[in-house]
Amino acid sequence: MRNPLSIIRRRWSDSDDVRTDGGTAAERTPFLQRESVRSAPFWLPPFLLVALFVYGAILWNIVLSLTDFTGLGEPDYTNLDFENYVVAFTGGTPSWSDLSVEPIWNSLGNTVALMVGFTVFCLVLGLLLAILVDQEIRFENTFRTVYLLPMSLSFVVTAKFWLYMYNVETGLVNIVITSLGFGPVEIVQNPDLKLAAVAFALVWQFSGYAMIVYLAGLRAIPTSHFEAARVDGASTYRLYRRVVLPQLRTATVSALVVLTVFALKAFDFLFSMYSGYQPGPSADILATRMVREAYANSNWAYGSAIAVVLFVMALFIVAPYIYSQYRRGAL
Amino acid sequence: MAELTLDAVTKVFQEGDGSEVVAVDDVNIDIGDGEFLVLVGPSGCGKSTTLRMIAGLETISSGEIRLGGSRLNEKQPAERDIAMVFQSYALYPHMTVRQNMSFGLEESTDLDDDTIRETVTDAATTMGIENLLDRKPGELSGGQQQRVALGRAIVRDPEVFLMDEPLSNLDAKLRAGMRTEIQRLQEDLDVTTVYVTHDQTEAMTMGDRIAVLDDGELMQVGSPLELYHRPANQFVAGFIGDPSMNFFDVSHEGGTLVGDGFEYPLSSDVASDLGETTDCVLGVRPEDVSLVESATDAHDFRTTVEVVEPMGNENNVYLSFGDEPSDEEPDQRFVATVGGLRRVERDSTVVARIPEDSVHLFDAATGDALHNRVLEEDVETQATIN
Repeated sequence: MRNPLSIIRRRWSDSDDVRTDGGTAAERTPFLQRESVRSAPFWLPPFLLVALFVYGAILWNIVLSLTDFTGLGEPDYTNLDFENYVVAFTGGTPSWSDLSVEPIWNSLGNTVALMVGFTVFCLVLGLLLAILVDQEIRFENTFRTVYLLPMSLSFVVTAKFWLYMYNVETGLVNIVITSLGFGPVEIVQNPDLKLAAVAFALVWQFSGYAMIVYLAGLRAIPTSHFEAARVDGASTYRLYRRVVLPQLRTATVSALVVLTVFALKAFDFLFSMYSGYQPGPSADILATRMVREAYANSNWAYGSAIAVVLFVMALFIVAPYIYSQYRRGAL
Repeated sequence: MAELTLDAVTKVFQEGDGSEVVAVDDVNIDIGDGEFLVLVGPSGCGKSTTLRMIAGLETISSGEIRLGGSRLNEKQPAERDIAMVFQSYALYPHMTVRQNMSFGLEESTDLDDDTIRETVTDAATTMGIENLLDRKPGELSGGQQQRVALGRAIVRDPEVFLMDEPLSNLDAKLRAGMRTEIQRLQEDLDVTTVYVTHDQTEAMTMGDRIAVLDDGELMQVGSPLELYHRPANQFVAGFIGDPSMNFFDVSHEGGTLVGDGFEYPLSSDVASDLGETTDCVLGVRPEDVSLVESATDAHDFRTTVEVVEPMGNENNVYLSFGDEPSDEEPDQRFVATVGGLRRVERDSTVVARIPEDSVHLFDAATGDALHNRVLEEDVETQATIN
């Protein structure tokens, strides 16, 4: 996201060259001599590519969501309306179908639950790990690598791996549960546990990332702050609570944005875990619903509408972050 | 009573490969109530480690630190009733000046918010920063941050102030101003203070007493003048004073010191101080070397001016023995400080007088002082009463 935006802004900032008083003819740089024009061979190709394939595709998707495009054939752009969004939030029978369509509330709820649960647990666990690893322990690098390693795995590998872990007869998780006296539990297909199981596996994969971000933040705090707080009489808990945590705000925000976006993209994980985009209603998220509507039911326009909802959610998460970064001059 | 006692305090660091490094070696200092003690020494001499042991930020390997008679070794920093000013100030960047100053009171006392507010405002007024209370440290200049750091320490009204090179991040002008201010503040508050610095000027001007450390060992404790005029050994003599004391390696041969390019006869009194020692070091402070018209005395030497450093109020004249300017690097060069209005030309030949009253003699092997300069009575009393 960062790259195309910065390109656009750079274009905009060039408009600062234009003088509000209009200047005089003699002062004006000839068009071809302007820096923005002369550097065009460098910025123009990526700019056009990004404009077409990212923003063009988004725009096209938005337009598509306003049509009634289903099945085979070509979309009809003459009759645009918001019917798909109405259907998405209230259900009912749309004009392009004979059957009634489920609203997206269920998958929207699951998406938000997964996003919040996963992100919060990831951050908390990452922070705890970072504080532990920061205690000048032995084999620090080894621990860091061990915790970070899961992140290098693809979603497919993590999903298949946890499928084994959760297995009702041979899975390690179930062996542990059994040994604690709770008997083997069906996890992956259990409607009550599905979403939690997915979130847990994702936390396992990404808490190492949160740890690294927090560790960098902790290392940036001068030792003298810890010492000053101790001399000031703060207990360890109060020290972290009042002196350290507030200084980790930037780290928290960066990790939060990345993790939330990962949670929104958890489609591939669910796809691998449930060998398709039918995880069942209790683990259905917007991404699986969207793909199912589009590719299983050929409700292209309706799928597009769900995609737009997902896009707006991502925008709401990323935009404040980018804006705050921009205001701080980091971009 | 806040008498701080360091009793045979030792700090040993374990290296990664199992070897041990002795950072502070058997240091004994008694710091009286309300006294301003300066710990001074070159980098790595253990002065900061000593301070951090008093603060409780480092464990004490052996020995004991007592405050008002009670043992501090096992106490947490919070329980020691001390306040520390850090070299980097260590102000919490996310808090305003007021919050920074309130933090210690909130964490270590049961005072209610109104009292804390009042105390902080009072301390801020003392430091002249009451108009900065709502700012964050990032919006303050170095000097203002320094004041906040000091304010944060005084607001807690501790038994002991610890200051770890608090002025080293300031520019020279500001440093001189803050030096006086800290001194005045300490006198007003009458709080026992331990101040660490590597700057001998700070040590001389600020301290009631100075403790000189080298390589973890305590070299000497005494008043500034005592250290200046009666150094216990060659290290202290060379460390205190700027420009440093001149040292000449000499051998003692029957009442005469024989050095490289000069001979220095000794009176029988001074010679008897040397006893059997033959290898010694002759020391003389630059301001005691005078440039005279002609050689009339056995302690007058013909020398060549190598370099002149004009300081305005005085000139530092670098001399070498002999009356011929040469291109070679001289074996023995020494400094004389003369009045700023006196003209001394480079490469000219001058007569330097090294009065016997002002020489110090050290054992070349151990560095111990064998003979210190003769003092006029008033200086003498000042140096000893402290």
